[in-house]
Amino acid sequence: MTTIQYYVGLLILATILTGILFVLFGQITVRKLRKNPKTRDALGLEYVSGWDIINAAQALAFPRSLSKKLERSPLSFIYANSLVLIENTSRLDRFLGSLFYWMMIVTGMSGAFLVLLESVGIFEP
Amino acid sequence: MSEILLCNQPMKADFLSNSCGIDPDLIHGRGCPKPASLSAFTPYVLGQELSAFDSQIISTLSAPKVANNLTNLSLSFGGDNTIALAEMTKKLQEYNVGLMGASTSVYANRLGGFAGAVKEYQDALMSYRSAINSNAASKALAKQKAFKAFQNLQIRFKHELNAINAGVKARRGTPLSSATRATNIARSSHNVAKLNVTSQAQAHNLVKFTQHAKFLGNGLAVIDFTSRVGNIHNEYKAGGEWERELFVESSSFAVSALTGTAVVNVGAAALGLLVVATPIGWVGLIVGGVAVAGTAAAASIGMNNVVKNNSGGVYDSIMKWISGV
Repeated sequence: MTTIQYYVGLLILATILTGILFVLFGQITVRKLRKNPKTRDALGLEYVSGWDIINAAQALAFPRSLSKKLERSPLSFIYANSLVLIENTSRLDRFLGSLFYWMMIVTGMSGAFLVLLESVGIFEP
Repeated sequence: MSEILLCNQPMKADFLSNSCGIDPDLIHGRGCPKPASLSAFTPYVLGQELSAFDSQIISTLSAPKVANNLTNLSLSFGGDNTIALAEMTKKLQEYNVGLMGASTSVYANRLGGFAGAVKEYQDALMSYRSAINSNAASKALAKQKAFKAFQNLQIRFKHELNAINAGVKARRGTPLSSATRATNIARSSHNVAKLNVTSQAQAHNLVKFTQHAKFLGNGLAVIDFTSRVGNIHNEYKAGGEWERELFVESSSFAVSALTGTAVVNVGAAALGLLVVATPIGWVGLIVGGVAVAGTAAAASIGMNNVVKNNSGGVYDSIMKWISGV
């Protein structure tokens, strides 16, 4: 097994775990938020269906100061409203959201990083 | 700016002054100042006197085909909207190729939302108008609703509104730049298109554009998925290790999709912070959206290649490990 195969294997494993967390968070938390009239319209912009799950996770995972900055911008309609979401979720929801969001970003970004390293020829024998 | 009067049926000038309050002395036709009656589908200029510029405009618009189309367009979409529509179409054509491809996911939904918000505003104006006509008690409430819809439109879609309104220089403003103007128009009834009515028309082109963009995005996903399933099926038919092929295709799909998703998400957050920090306009937003979508696509395609080239080896190692246990 070469070095890059080792990393790709790790990425596949991390992707599967992220996928499981995605479905869990979607079913446990976001389904509840979609039904709640208070939070229904606070889930941000859905680029493709299911993206509101990522928006909700982001709102729960980002530090408050960063969310506040984003929500004051003219692009605020893209993001979920963190204040409303935090008020209407339990501690478990917030933990699950943060875990899923950071896992997804770390996995995805290491994927992009791996592509970058590959393209400059780090892994060539 | 010259104000043009168009109607779709012959009309007496004094009828016009009675029903719309337009002074017949202010109406000038092509080659006949202050006509006693107006013919259908013919442009007339409103103003103190006919300037050289005005007569040039009406002689351009007087060609029967142009005048017919313009009258119908103005009656159904409203005058300001007809002008704005022409502006917007021209702008979109300038940006089209780059836009259509890359910014699908980032911008398509926003335009969809914009069209929806314009429609809401339009509906509010229409219900205000019908409340006026039937003299219902809910007039004030309906007016308030229209103002609220306008405010919503302004807060959420300032950039798009500016783009549309920039080309229109009507003195009193257009329905899309002033809610007062819009409610005044809604209150005074008329069947003459004094080149001033609201409608969702502006959004029309945008809506069409959105549909193209969405179609493109979904189409690409279907093509991608079909080719992957095809690869697995080919391997199966060739009597090869199709389970290995399934592992390669599904893992590369999943990992590359996740990479693209993460990049779009990080990019959208970065774009938001950029908007806060700089006075970026709507063109800048589109360019930023294209950049984010492009980076996401590049990362996703690169990831797909890396995983496809290497996950076969991963599969082999896992199989070896399982058989060794």
